[in-house]
Amino acid sequence: MSRMFVDELSPGETVATSPTPCMHCVTPACAESCPVQAISVTSDGIVLSASLEKCIGCKNCTYACPFGIPRVDDVKKMMYKCDMCYDRTSKGTPPMCASVCPTDTIMFLEEDDLKNHSPKEVQYQWDFGGTTIETRTVIGLPDTKRNSFGFYDGEGVQS
Amino acid sequence: MGHAQNREYSQRDYHAIERDGEDLISTHCCFCGMQCGMNIRVKTETKEVIGVEPRYDFPMNGGRLCPKGVAAYRQAEHGERLLSPLIRKNGELVKASWDEAMELIVSKIQEVQAQYGKDAVGVYSGSSMTNEKCYLMGKFARIGLGTKNIDYNGRYCMSSASFGFNQSVGIDRGSTNPWSDIKSADVLLLAGSNTAECHPLSMPYIWGARDNGAKLIVIDPRQTKTALVADIHLDIRPGTDVALANGLLHVMIEEDLVDYDFINKHTTGFEKLKELVKKYTPEYVSEITGVSAEKIVSAARIFGQSKNGMAMFARGVEQHATGTDAVSTYVNLCLVTGKIGRKGSGFATFTGQGNGQGGREHGQKTDQLPGFRKITDPKAREYIAGVWGVDESEIPGPGLSAFEMLQALGSEIKLLILACSNPIVSSPSVAHVGDYLKSLDFFVAIDMFLSESCELADVVLPSTVWVEDDGTTTNVEGRVLRLRGIDRTPGESRRDWEIICDLAERLGRGKYFKYDKPEDIFNELRVASKGGIADYYGITYEKLDNMQGVFWPCPTEESEGMPRLFEDLKFNFPDGKARILAFEHKGPNEKISEEYPIFLSTGRVVYHYLSGNQTRRIESLLNFCPDPYVEMHPNLAKKYNIGNGEMVKLSSARGSIEVVAKITKIIREDMVFVPYHWGKTLAINHLTNPALEPNSKIPEFKVCAVKIEKKAEIVGVKHG
Repeated sequence: MSRMFVDELSPGETVATSPTPCMHCVTPACAESCPVQAISVTSDGIVLSASLEKCIGCKNCTYACPFGIPRVDDVKKMMYKCDMCYDRTSKGTPPMCASVCPTDTIMFLEEDDLKNHSPKEVQYQWDFGGTTIETRTVIGLPDTKRNSFGFYDGEGVQS
Repeated sequence: MGHAQNREYSQRDYHAIERDGEDLISTHCCFCGMQCGMNIRVKTETKEVIGVEPRYDFPMNGGRLCPKGVAAYRQAEHGERLLSPLIRKNGELVKASWDEAMELIVSKIQEVQAQYGKDAVGVYSGSSMTNEKCYLMGKFARIGLGTKNIDYNGRYCMSSASFGFNQSVGIDRGSTNPWSDIKSADVLLLAGSNTAECHPLSMPYIWGARDNGAKLIVIDPRQTKTALVADIHLDIRPGTDVALANGLLHVMIEEDLVDYDFINKHTTGFEKLKELVKKYTPEYVSEITGVSAEKIVSAARIFGQSKNGMAMFARGVEQHATGTDAVSTYVNLCLVTGKIGRKGSGFATFTGQGNGQGGREHGQKTDQLPGFRKITDPKAREYIAGVWGVDESEIPGPGLSAFEMLQALGSEIKLLILACSNPIVSSPSVAHVGDYLKSLDFFVAIDMFLSESCELADVVLPSTVWVEDDGTTTNVEGRVLRLRGIDRTPGESRRDWEIICDLAERLGRGKYFKYDKPEDIFNELRVASKGGIADYYGITYEKLDNMQGVFWPCPTEESEGMPRLFEDLKFNFPDGKARILAFEHKGPNEKISEEYPIFLSTGRVVYHYLSGNQTRRIESLLNFCPDPYVEMHPNLAKKYNIGNGEMVKLSSARGSIEVVAKITKIIREDMVFVPYHWGKTLAINHLTNPALEPNSKIPEFKVCAVKIEKKAEIVGVKHG
């Protein structure tokens, strides 16, 4: 059972993908919308999967989460989401996704480590409606001069 | 952390999670040449394999794993594992006892050899086996069976790199540098390698280089996940690597970006190259390769101006009828700019198969004896005969290479023993290979699953999976590693080395195959390789455990191996100088024509491994990418009125296949691409060209001429 979703950024156009991990929100919509309080938040801020005993399978959490993280398995009658591998992280070992991530796309770092993590120069600057965001990460982007987005049919027209 | 040789790797300082009632077996992945370290989670009481746990302290991957590695453990308890020998009776494979199966095999071997001579028995093995097994296969063929005809599927994989390295620098270790060196390069040139998908655990090293400001040049016909992050992507027409590399050399020489001091002191042949590349102007090369002249000039400048840099390549360069030329031409890039013998400078080929490196060092290549010795060299023959305790005349000469052997089935070769390989999916023009296999008098296969090739066998012997095996492999860097196995053999399965030794015993040759455990075989291998190019003599199991692997050559017990080659700038020729070799562009063996107007190239996807015999059985991997597809550019699709997800028939002069179309702009307009991990009607190798590279005998998998026809409209199919 996979608890991490990988999205294709522009299917048919580029091979670029992006993982969608649980954000472990400070005010988690999934937990707040749960009518039976099956989803609890640990003292260190990790939002756990629904307790099997309490969960009634109503799927409120799946609708409430803005990132589409919680899923409900109708056959097994259980809700599942990333709980940051609490058995691992509670012992200081990274969650499984960050442990095995082959490209270090997902990392498990302390806040201070994160600040020191990337000493290299700014690689990209983004303008989000007047707000400038700088990133030191090398990002793979499709060749937008040559390409546009979407699937293509025989006429070369986007569908 | 650990031994000094491992300090600059990507390991991490965490602890594996241990649980009561469970053991962690620290071993390595069974798939590609990265040979990532992993812990297999096993129930102590039942020895049942239940999962995988990262091995953070292993230098190469530091616990990271690709999708194949994460799922690999699922093979161990897979319901389709072969658990007893099978014998064909009335056309059906039925269960049999080991005695019955082995007696039948032995009687058939004796029958065939009495009638047609010793060489009528062929051995075709794999490179996904341990060094011990590879060594044993070579010895068994020559001494157990007395046949010259042994070869292995690494012939399809890395033999061009092997020959190219030998002719350029006199030694064939896949990488001149340890992988940690990649992070110190100022420029990385990746040619014909989709590293991100085929060797994902190399990416932390490439990212490490990028973090230090390195430039990345990717040469590939497709905008792969690797090309996506490149500074310059040279979208080359398939089969034109020699021209492109010559073009880069032309620019570097014109703009005086070469290292004359290094060239004069440490190489020969530069003048000839200088003369030859004069005509490879960016414009001329652009015509041949389809890459713009500006991009060629920029790439050459970046590579030439960087102090340290590595040229790295893979099957996209090697699986061509001119594969060895291309390898040597890329090696030239490092030689003329003096980028070798120091941190961050050198060249490497990405090993495709798990033990592609070790597999070609220990004498299962038809032209080689252990330690990379030539089988035709009288001194080498005498030495190995001494190790084996036989007369030199008992060692046969060179036989047929892998594909030549398959072509000789039914005629020159009447009985085939196949181990750890699936040639009916992995060979070129596979329809013919099926006919060859069917024309055998007797066909024995050793495997853990009933592969497409096993389905044709007369006897199938069940072997163990890798987590049940002890031994060593040699990874992409030339680092020899220790695999540890769980002490179990499910059902009636047996370990390959035990099967081979039992066969030898029953053939009356048992006295040469007395081993109690893999370490005994390894100790004999050490002696057999002593003094050879691939010298393992100083490597012991103990040292492998203490150092997390040892780099060869390691000629003495005091030696700790050699992570970086050529630091003294002495190359492996009598004069100590590297050979700068000049090759003209010849192009693909098969040209496009009016009937077959489009180039086809093949390759991998991240979710599958080789013929897919292992990965297609793992549900999670199959779900990620269940079927092959054909990638084509929208403009090409428009020409044939093909929509995304519609069924397409691809045909070459040798066969045809029906696959769904995946229309995308990541590919050139004049070619199509199909991954090769499927068998039977879905095997793209029905189409590929069996033309062999004359030196390495590698088939030209990477380019052939095809035509496209629209078959049916199926809209909405999702592809891997």
